[in-house]
Amino acid sequence: MKQRNVLGRMSIILFLVYMFLPILATYVFSIAIRWDRSILPEGLTFEWYQTAFQDRWFLIVFRHSITISAITVLVSTLLIVPTAYWVHLRLPRALPLLNLITTLPFAIPAVVLALGLIKLYGQGPLQLARTPPMLVLAYVIFTLPFMYRPVASSLEAIDIRRLTEAAQSLGASWPRTMLQVIFPNIMPGILSGGLLVFATIFGEFTLATLLVGARYKTFPMQLVYYTRRDGRIASAYSVISFTVAWATSLIILWITTWGTRRTSGSRSAGERLGQQAPVGGKV
Amino acid sequence: MQLTRGARFRKLTAGWWNWLPLIPFLVITIGVMVLPLAFMLEGSFQSKEGFFTFDNYLQMTAPVYTQSFRNSILLSGITAILGTILGTAVGYFVHQLRSSRVRELVVTLCDVTSNFSGAPLAFAFIVILGSNGVLTLALSHYFGWKIYPTFSIYSFWGLVLAYTYFQLPLMVLLVLPAVAGLKQEWREAALSLGADARSYWRYIGLPILAPAILANLLLLFANAFGAYATAYTLTGSRFNLVTLQLGSLLTGEVLRDPGAGDAMGILTLFLMGATILLYQLAARRARRWRQ
Repeated sequence: MKQRNVLGRMSIILFLVYMFLPILATYVFSIAIRWDRSILPEGLTFEWYQTAFQDRWFLIVFRHSITISAITVLVSTLLIVPTAYWVHLRLPRALPLLNLITTLPFAIPAVVLALGLIKLYGQGPLQLARTPPMLVLAYVIFTLPFMYRPVASSLEAIDIRRLTEAAQSLGASWPRTMLQVIFPNIMPGILSGGLLVFATIFGEFTLATLLVGARYKTFPMQLVYYTRRDGRIASAYSVISFTVAWATSLIILWITTWGTRRTSGSRSAGERLGQQAPVGGKV
Repeated sequence: MQLTRGARFRKLTAGWWNWLPLIPFLVITIGVMVLPLAFMLEGSFQSKEGFFTFDNYLQMTAPVYTQSFRNSILLSGITAILGTILGTAVGYFVHQLRSSRVRELVVTLCDVTSNFSGAPLAFAFIVILGSNGVLTLALSHYFGWKIYPTFSIYSFWGLVLAYTYFQLPLMVLLVLPAVAGLKQEWREAALSLGADARSYWRYIGLPILAPAILANLLLLFANAFGAYATAYTLTGSRFNLVTLQLGSLLTGEVLRDPGAGDAMGILTLFLMGATILLYQLAARRARRWRQ
């Protein structure tokens, strides 16, 4: 038994090293004067961040990424939350269809989706496929599972039928029922879904580069550009990217823990995470 | 209760207006997901002159295409198997941890790191294992082990290392619920009936975990097969993977042959679809133990 403990501890430590080493190295690399010819960095500096921030592209690509991510979250929320609510309440017959549609994106690699969109909407003088609005729509599809799953499980955790009936018997209209009764009750699901969508899209490279490319440069596109030009600036970009991912994941985790504690405190953290593990195609 | 045909019809169509609120959702999913793929399917059976043909699929037997499928399947297969074996072990050990705080911490870490992928991850691996990488230098300095040129982060095995990075924490997250489903009583019952730890795993533990492990293996395979950004950042389009081929077709880096691109896209969809379908079947079976 003792031997097994040692083995277990060793493998967990090795696992942690494997997980931490690349991230830690990138953080240190981004503040090192030079770290490509000696074991330890040759002094520390914030010069690379300054260089990165001073480049006029930095603000542009940052703004582009934030804009695209925020609009996608908004469109996705407005599209999926009412649909999911309606189907759960009035049209349970359509649940299998909804589940199928929201699972399909798992099976569609971003490259293939881009290929199809350009084939269908890429012709003509408008070149619709190569515009930011089409990118947003592609992202809405691409992140369907991330938004729908948490929202659906929130809807299943509360008694929407009774809440809706109560609201309407007190004279609330449909929009008011949605906004003031249903939304607040499934907020944890909407928030964690929305944040997951936000984080995914903020770091998304494939669809962005293949659909709009240089017409609307995003943060990850600029990062890839610098990995080929200047490793130091690329490291500053990577650190910012990592930090956004860290922050959003931790907030999601905090929200789901808080949300589950309020609704059903019984499931273990592992189970909760296992069910909501972000899977597929984000790479 | 038996319904007459008329009543059944009325019941089916009753409240057809209930479908109306679904229209925006259906329009977008059909317009942005279903139609483009349908057109791709059609295009894959069309010659340049617009006639029906199988040529595009026959073209897939050319070495450049078979090689890209072989490379993609190998890369996804190897990293899925590595992720599954190592992830199951780590997941099991994490579950065994006595301190629930450390357990929660590892789970949090997995959750965060499975979000790290694509360009920043690829760059992080260049920082540690590039030709002047931190680890590359440390290994040669302390152990006199020069990993270049035998190994390169820009090669197949470099990609394996980078892909495993996002497969492993995902597997830990996926396997934890299954491991948590192994009841302590089963183990005690087996041990009290004279089984040793090895035969417990052989006859009870692993067979119960098998459907879950298989399901997660398939999911990991699909996860890696569709990946583009990590491979693109590390190798440009030099390495021959299905997604990289499709990408360079789109950006016009190679000779334009839309028919071949469509056929390749459809084959990829077919492969991914079959994998996800098998995953669903295995996952359904795995859930039986978790009632």
